[in-house]
This record gives sequence, structure tokens and C-alpha cells, in this order.
Amino acid sequence: MEQKYAHALRKLAEGGIAPQDAVAAVARALEARGRGGLLSRVGKAFARLAVRAARRKRKTLIVARESDAAAARAASGFAEAETIIDDSLIGGWRLEEGDTLTDASYKKYLLDMYNRATRA
Amino acid sequence: MDTTIIEKVMREIEGYTPKAETEHVGRVMAVGDGVVAIEGLAKGVLGEVIVFDEQGGKHLKDALGHESKLFGLILNLEEDSVRAAVLGDTARVREGTIVSSTGQILSVPSGDELLGRVVNALGAPVDDKGPFKNPTMMPVEREAAGVIYRKSVSVPLATGIVAIDAMIPIGRGQRELIIGDRGTGKTTIAIDTILTQKNEPEEKRPICIYVAIGQKESKTARIKQELMEKGAMEYTIIVDAPASAPAALQFLAPFAGVAIGEFFMDRGQDVLIIYDDLSKQAVAYRQLSLLLRRPPGREAYPGDIFYLHSRLLERACRLSEEKGGGSITALPIIETQEGDVSAYIPTNVISITDGQIFLDASLFNKGLRPAIDVGISVSRVGSSAQTKAMKAVAGGIKLELAQFRELEAFMQFAQDLDKATAERIASGQRMVELLKQRNGEPLPVEKQVALLHAANRRFFAEVPIARVREAAAAFISFADDAHASALADIKRTGLLSDESKQSLDKAGEEFRLAHSDFFTT
Repeated sequence: MEQKYAHALRKLAEGGIAPQDAVAAVARALEARGRGGLLSRVGKAFARLAVRAARRKRKTLIVARESDAAAARAASGFAEAETIIDDSLIGGWRLEEGDTLTDASYKKYLLDMYNRATRA
Repeated sequence: MDTTIIEKVMREIEGYTPKAETEHVGRVMAVGDGVVAIEGLAKGVLGEVIVFDEQGGKHLKDALGHESKLFGLILNLEEDSVRAAVLGDTARVREGTIVSSTGQILSVPSGDELLGRVVNALGAPVDDKGPFKNPTMMPVEREAAGVIYRKSVSVPLATGIVAIDAMIPIGRGQRELIIGDRGTGKTTIAIDTILTQKNEPEEKRPICIYVAIGQKESKTARIKQELMEKGAMEYTIIVDAPASAPAALQFLAPFAGVAIGEFFMDRGQDVLIIYDDLSKQAVAYRQLSLLLRRPPGREAYPGDIFYLHSRLLERACRLSEEKGGGSITALPIIETQEGDVSAYIPTNVISITDGQIFLDASLFNKGLRPAIDVGISVSRVGSSAQTKAMKAVAGGIKLELAQFRELEAFMQFAQDLDKATAERIASGQRMVELLKQRNGEPLPVEKQVALLHAANRRFFAEVPIARVREAAAAFISFADDAHASALADIKRTGLLSDESKQSLDKAGEEFRLAHSDFFTT
């Protein structure tokens, strides 16, 4: 239930209504339905939505070691991406941007090769 | 290491061109009870297959040799997330697991190599005969054939059960519901129908698909064993979604079964598919729908429960000659509680199908087996799905039995009955005895015709009621030995010619002389 209200709050905010007015509108709607106590949970749900939305906009470049980062940035074309180190990639890079994942890691190549060699 | 593997790896390395692959992904937010909530996958499509990346974050040596890929099926599209059913072990999914879309609708393998095999709801073999080599993939969800591509049902599908073939005939392409309480012989009728197909010439024999939904694995194993022992597995495929399988697989199993059947139908072959049973599928779908937070309706079933069964059963049909003339005959099974056919799911499926065979627990307990309540059982296709021979002998049976049921109440006053009524009751009792059959012993249609012809000639009128079944079995055996040509003629032509009638009458006279001990009243 609180998620629906959180979505409504987000839509109000995205629609150009001032944040304090949007919160007041949702609070009034909750009070009118006798659900005033739900407001704090709506706030938490809204915070989760905001975190998810921010994560979706974030560009993350994952590399196996720090020294690969510069080359990976050049290869992926995302110079401004946040960089994370994950040694399980072995080499290469992996770029996450919203719902899109571009995988150019050695781990992926090796797994593909293994699967093709063993299943063929 | 095996040199062939080394060679393969060398070839792979030599021919490999590394390229960055872009995928459309989401991330698991929550998982539980076979359902996952996924953030992202904004371009996900309803019914699309997704794959869980279980190797994410693992080092290569841990990721190698992992068991087969874990798939899911998108069932809900929400504002900023999707919900999907896990088609496998939910314990393998973690919060944060990356999920990739495949852009494909769920499909299952089909083809001749599936014959004699047991597969799960995803079409993967679950017997010990290894993987399929070159199957054809068939979509699990497919629109049913339209009106102009259909033909009316006119070719009979023998069940081997006299009461059904004579009074509730089933045609190829028909949907006939088998309904009754638990333990009343619903599965037995379905299995006997599969066994009976062995009597059909190979070119006309339907491919049989038995879909076990929410059944005990021991029961499915027993059925497979019986079909194997009687040589019926060679034209049968078993789709098994046992009670221990996730609800998603139990919900998908009938669709997988019909998808497998459509391959053969598209090829112009006839298919018989048994859904054992759709009550359990409805329960699995209810569980899944509630976990997906869809609004519950009557008996907590979701609003689209009717559509679930109607879209499944509409795929059973007989195609026109232009489309190859193949057919799918569906025998869905529904389990009732205390004989209540007016419950939600039974009434839904009754209204979708072209008739129902109602099995009555009280008849079963009285020893009348198969416990078919002829009064409320019906086939809407009717006699157009009977051979002329069967039509000729079966015409009056339903009426005779109905009259007998009316008079049955007076039996307790037997001494006060007039002669005509007493004779009608005795005749009805003999007919009831003739319609009794043991399980696993279906009777070919030509033998049914011979038996009913004899009954119409009042051949068993002088046999004590307690010995009617024994006499009938002996007569069939006698006719099969001494007058095999008459039976073969009925089987070949589907007609009861004058010569065949004379031959059967003669068989009756010879039988009477040879087995005079039966005729003592």
C-alpha cells in the first residue's frame, strides 16, 4: 500500500509540484482515508524509490584491478563512470547503466568458451 | 585431460573474437516462494523468459561447471519493476542477482524423439535416456486455431470402455471432461483410453500425452510402468509436474503438454492429451497469483482463472484438410469434493468442454466400475463420433438404463411387480453388469459391438445376473476365436453388415451349445 502512495508522491514531485506541497497532498489524502499513520512508511518507501532511481541513472564501470580502469574507460567510452574493482572479472571491463549491461570481461569470454567447448 | 576437449578449446581460442555484449538486465529485489520481484527490465514482455546470472560475483573456478541455467517467466509488469516465477529451485536466487531478458517466449522441445519419454514442464527429460538430439521448439503459449481452420468432429476416438464408447462417444478433436471425487477411477479411464489406442492401425493411432499435474511421483511411475508393460509407451509422452514441483511448473505443465501435441497436430497427426488434473493446476495458479499480489476473487482464485482453462482447452481441435487435418483430443480431469459439480472450477471447465463423464462415488462403492453416472454424463458431439456399427447397436442402451434407474426404486417391492416391469428391471440389471469392466482391460470397439449386439438380441436374458460378466467375457473370447473374421470386418469397415450380424448370431448359438452351464434361469 505504502508503495502506491510513494509512487504517487514521486509523480507529484516529478510533475513540478513543490516537495512540501506534494507531501502535504499525500498526507491529506491519507488523513481523509483514516490512514494518517501510514505517512512514515510512505516516506521510507519513497526513500527506497529514490535510491533505486538514482542507481538506475548511475553509470558503473567494473574492472578487475585499478590499473585497468583507464583503458576500460577509453574502451567503453564512459569517461565519467564510477569505477568499482571486482577481481572475479579477471580482466576486461563491465559497464552497468540503468537496465543495460555491457560485458567485456575476460570472465565472460572464458565462461562462454567453456560452455561452448563442453556442450558442443 | 581428454585430447578432444583440448582440441576443442584450442579451436575456440583460435577462432574467438572478443566483443562486448550488451544485455537488457534487471536486479532481484526480493525472492520467496517461487516468485521474484525484479527492479529494472523495463523492456520486459509478459510471458518472456528471463535468465538468472548465478555466476555474478563468483570467481571463475566457482562459476565453471555450474548446473544448468536457471530461468524465470515474467508474469507481472508493474510500474518500475516486474514479478516473475522461478522455473526451478528458488534457493539458487539471491537478492541482487542480475537477471537478463532473452527476448523469447517460453518454448518446449517436441518431436518423434519425445515418444516414450518422460519430461518435466519445461520439456527437459527426467528419465534416464539422455538429452534430445534434434527437437523442434514449440511455443508454450500459442493462439488456438481459428474457426476457418477447423473442421467438425466426426472421427471416433475409442476409449475401450463400453459405457463411454456406446453412450458418451468421444471424437477426435473433442474436449471431454472426466469429473468425479477422488478415488472414483478418473485416471483409470484416461489410462485405459491410452491403452486402447494400441488397437488402432499405426497410421491412424493418436500420439498420447499424459500430463501429470501435482500428482505423487509414485503414481506417475506406476502409470509409466503400466504403459510400458502393455506396450503403450511407444506412442506416449508423459509430462510430469509432481506435487513437489514449484507451483509455476504445475501451472505450466498443461501448456507444455499441448505445445508438444501441437507439433504432431501441425504434422497432420491425431493427438490425445490427458490433463490429470486441472483442479491442481488451478490451485497452483491461485498460489502463484496470490504471491504475485493479484487481486483474489471467488474461492481466492484470480479473475483470469476461467481464461487459464479456456485458452488451454481451445487449443484442442480438429484442423481442416488445408491445415493438414490433424487433431488434439483433450481429456481434462477435474476432482470434485463430495460430488459437488457446482463448485467454481468444475462449473468453469464443464462450460468450456464439449461434454463430461461424471464418476459417482456411490456407484463406485456399490461395485459399479467404471462408476459412470450415465444420467448426467454427456457428449455434445454425440453419435457423429461413433462408427455406424456402434450406432446400430448402442441406440437404445441409454434409454433402457434410464428406465431401469426409474424402476430401480421399486425393486424392493419385487414380489408385487407386474411381469413386464420385472422383466425390464432384470434386463436393466443385466445391462448394468455388461457395462462393468475391470481397470486396465479396455475392450476394442469391434468386441464392444459384438457384445452389445448380443445384448440387444437378449442373449444374456437366461444367464443369472451374477454370472453375466463371466458369460460376456467368455462369449467375447469365443467370438474372437471362432468368428474372428466377423470382428475383423467390423473393425475394418466400421459397419455391422448383415453377414456380420449373421456371423455373430451364429457365434451366439454355438456359444450357447458349448457353454450351456451359463444358461440356467
